[in-house]
Order: sequence, then structure tokens, then C-alpha cells
Amino acid sequence: MGNKFYTPDGFTDQVPGFCAFKRDMEARLRNLFLMNGYEEIETPGIEYFDVYRSFVAEEELYKFSDGKGRLLCTRYDGTIPVARYAAGRNDTMPTRLFYIENMYRAGQIGGGKQSGFTQAGIELLGASGSKSDAEVLALAIKSALELGITDLQVSLGQVQFFKGLSRQLGLNDETIAKIKTAIANRDSVTIEKLDLSREDRDTLLMITESGGTYDTIDQMLPRVTDESAKEALANIKEILDIMERYGYLKYVSVDLGLIESIDYYTGMVFKGYTYEVGFPIFTGGRYDDALKTFGKDMAAVGFSISLTLSMTALMRQDKFTPAAGVKVIVGGDFEAAMVTAEALRAEGTAAALDTTGMTEEELDAYAKAKGIETIMYMDGGKA
Amino acid sequence: MLTIALSKGRLADQTLDLMEKAGYDVTAAREKSRKLILEDQEAGLRFILAKPSDVPTYVEYGAADIGVVGKDTLLEEGRQLYEVLDLGLGKCRMCVAGPASLKDKLDEIPNKRVGTKYPNITRNYFEGVKKESVEIIKLNGSVELAPLTGLAEVIVDIVESGRTLYENGLDVLETVADISARLVVNRVSMKMKADEIKPMISRLRDALQEQEGEN
Repeated sequence: MGNKFYTPDGFTDQVPGFCAFKRDMEARLRNLFLMNGYEEIETPGIEYFDVYRSFVAEEELYKFSDGKGRLLCTRYDGTIPVARYAAGRNDTMPTRLFYIENMYRAGQIGGGKQSGFTQAGIELLGASGSKSDAEVLALAIKSALELGITDLQVSLGQVQFFKGLSRQLGLNDETIAKIKTAIANRDSVTIEKLDLSREDRDTLLMITESGGTYDTIDQMLPRVTDESAKEALANIKEILDIMERYGYLKYVSVDLGLIESIDYYTGMVFKGYTYEVGFPIFTGGRYDDALKTFGKDMAAVGFSISLTLSMTALMRQDKFTPAAGVKVIVGGDFEAAMVTAEALRAEGTAAALDTTGMTEEELDAYAKAKGIETIMYMDGGKA
Repeated sequence: MLTIALSKGRLADQTLDLMEKAGYDVTAAREKSRKLILEDQEAGLRFILAKPSDVPTYVEYGAADIGVVGKDTLLEEGRQLYEVLDLGLGKCRMCVAGPASLKDKLDEIPNKRVGTKYPNITRNYFEGVKKESVEIIKLNGSVELAPLTGLAEVIVDIVESGRTLYENGLDVLETVADISARLVVNRVSMKMKADEIKPMISRLRDALQEQEGEN
């Protein structure tokens, strides 16, 4: 048909140079995760639709069926398949897992937003508390730094804070929905117009404008009476303490308005940003309820970083150089060339071997076109 | 440097008036030329003039940090943005309109055909609010023609004064949403360029309040 030359909308080839650069990013993250005690897992890439049913909108999954008519879908994220896996086992907890995989998301509007992209991520399962939260956040920051993204800003929030505050203010569901939208939009005008006391409105306005570290918590603390909201602030404070010890406090600021995914996350949430890309490069948080869907009560915290967005950021920040290809080509007398090429390879130099019988001039022109620096032309002892 | 996406046309001029009131030098953007990007190094502002329906896209992807665009476009495009200020410009309503004879009888027509330039808003309203399936006919202009020619029973469209409707024997049947221009901000820029963006929001908010005081 007419589409045989093209990749589907939202999908791209990782061309030579770029692909090598990306593999190098993957290798660095793999090493980082291994060094921190995480084990790699590869999920099949195809799941039963039922696995994702309660987490992802139907329109966003690529679906098809197996031979028995059961609905399948492609991997949408790293977390849910890992949750499925962990829930089906009785491993000694905590368990530390990581993945580096391609994700597939249908229904993304407009060109430019990728439907296929690569994410790396970790899940720390069966471990609750601030120290576990902080480990995951620290690894997210380490990952970005490892990739060379140093202009990094991380927003740190806690969804229990807003849930607790809503209880404290005694708001009805309709008002809460309105406030949620206003906070998600950073829309202070709507909050100003709410039928609440001046003090309560100020508290909500502080949420939309928070952005400090300890000062934000100190300002908020006297306004909070709900126990779980207080605990949420204590949780953030403890995480900040640990970030300070890592030397990462300069990257982190508190954003109590980070409540877009309040129904999925159950505690700490964070997002990492850099210049020149319009979307967060990493997101993460605590999701203690997700495993209940799979019949297991298990604490869980994790994050994922988009290698695709990270690569875009590095390119636009002029920190990206496509990896060069082979630097040596050996040609001329085939027997001699083959022996030479093998010798070079044995000592660790990548070498291509001409298998088409090019003349010295042809090999010269070829190497120039391909950007190969060194040409070795074997005359087979005739000279 | 902040990149601001303006909706080409009257809204762009009104936005610049407001920015001027807030103390920004926008002479670069006033320049009458065919340039699509107008930059003022000194003021640290770069303006891009885009088709209104494209403004949310530029801002969502971070090609622009800030945008000014009608709520109708935001509702239709459904982008992930911070919608920080209601600028109160270009006020109008998104309405269901049709023959005046249908007033209070809209629910009596089964399997309605609805002509509109806003298929997403229309779907969200009929399915989400009215819990009803409708057939949506996407049109690109002069939407009032649809009920007059029998292409559709009703339309969903922007109503300002309602004159076009009345002169054609049509009337507003239901209001879907109140519309006005909004200041939108890219979610990453809000963080990465907070030092420039947050003061701009509060200066514009002050200018708006001052303006309200005058009126």
C-alpha cells in the first residue's frame, strides 16, 4: 500500500549515530541502577488489556486480540507490568527492580508528541517511609545528571497534603473539584473568588504559589490542623533533609500544587524539568494503592525518566554529539585485508572490511563519503 | 527571554494594550510588518503571532512560554497547560442555537444532528453534561447555515451579540460555557523561568484590577 516507505504517526527510527548515543545513555543508566542495588526486569511488551484497564484511558492503548479473542494491548508504561509481576509473587520485601524499555501510547494529539518512546525507571516495592521516598528521588536526580542534564529543577509535592487540607476546610465535593482544577491550572483568580474565609483562601493561594524548600513548609505548617496533612509536610521535610545530605537540595523545590495525578499517587510526587523541552523529563512518586488492583497490599514508590525527551533536551542544549561510526576500513587483497581487520578487532579497534573488491581510489572515495578516518589498502604482496 | 504566543487579530492588539498598561514595552510587537516573530532583546520579550487555535499547541510543547487565547480554543484543544489568568477580553458565550421554535424543546428531538466548528466541545457537552448521543457535523464557518438548510437541527457556536442568529430566525437554546481570553503558561516554563513569568502574571493581574476599577 501507499504507506510502505513511512513509519506510523508518532513513531521514528533511531538512526545510526543517534541510536548509538541512546544506547550509551541506556548503558549509563543501567550501570547506575545496578550500582544502587536494583535488578533489571524485561516485561513482554504485550499485556492483557485487563492489566491496564483500571489505570489508563482506553483510547491511549494500542489494542488487538490473541487467538482466543482475548483483548491485548502494548506496553503503556513500566510501572504497571512490574506491579503485575510483583503482585503475583511472594518475594521477600523490599524488592528493587528497574527497566529500560519502549513505551507505546495511542491517541496522542498532534505531531511532535511521540507515541513510541523509551523510558528508564525503577520501582522500590514493599518499602514505605521517607527514606525510601528519598532514595527514589535521589536516583531520579542522579539519572538526569548522569545523562548530562545539569540545568535541572525538580518539583516535590505530596498528594496527602491536599487531601488532608480539603478535609480540614470541610469542603463539599463540588468545591473540591473546582479547587483542584484551579490549583492544577495555577489559577489564583478563581481561588480569590471562592466563598471561603480570607485565611483559607490565603492557604489555597499559597499552594498555587509554593516554590521554596523549608520556608514553604514552615509557612504552611501553622495553617494546618489535619493530621495527615501535617504528616505529608513532615514527609517532605524528611525527604529534603536527605536531599541536602546528597547535595541535591539546590535542584529541589516544594510544590504542593502537584496534584494532577492525585487519584493514582498516594504520597510523595515529583517532576523533573530542564530547559528546551516543554514536558517534564522525569516523573515519580509513591503509589501504595496500585498493587491493590492486583490483589496485594504493598507499598510502592518509583520514577521513570524519558530517554527520548532527555535526548531532545541535550540536543537543544548543544550537549549532544551523534556517536561516530567505524574509524578504520581495510581493503585491497581480500586475504590480507581480512587478517589485518581481525587483528585490529582483536586489539579493540573497530574495523570494517571491504567485501566488494574496491580499487584504492574507490576505497578512498568511499571512506571520504562515509567519514571513515583511516584507510588500509592491502596490495597482497605484489608490490 | 520569554516567548509569548498571541492570537492573530483583535485579541493580539487588546493583549498588547494590557501588557503596556502593566508597564511592558511592546513596541516591537506593534510593528506593522509581515514578520511572524517580533523580538525585543532589551525588554527580553519575543512575540509570535499564531492562528488562535494553534496557540495552545505552541505553549504546550514549550515553543512559546506564554500564550493568550480564547477559552473556546482551550476547551476545544484540551491541552495540558497552566491557565493562570482570565483576561476578561473577547467575552462571549458558547451556545447551543437553533430555530427559535425549539426553545425549551431541545430535549424532545431524538438523535440530533449538531453542526459546529467545535466537535470536542460539542461532544463533551452532549455526552458529558446532557448524557446524550448526538451526530456531530464538523463545519468550518457560517455555521448558522446548517439549521437553515436542514443539514443539522441545531448548532454549537460562539455567540457575541446574537444578531446573526436573530436575523436568521435562530435563537440561543442553551449556554455551554462562558468564554473570554485566558493567559496560559507552559508547565515547564512556569518552573524554569519562574523569575520572569511570576512577576508578569502579577503585573498583568494588577493592571486588570486597575482596569476594572476604571470601568
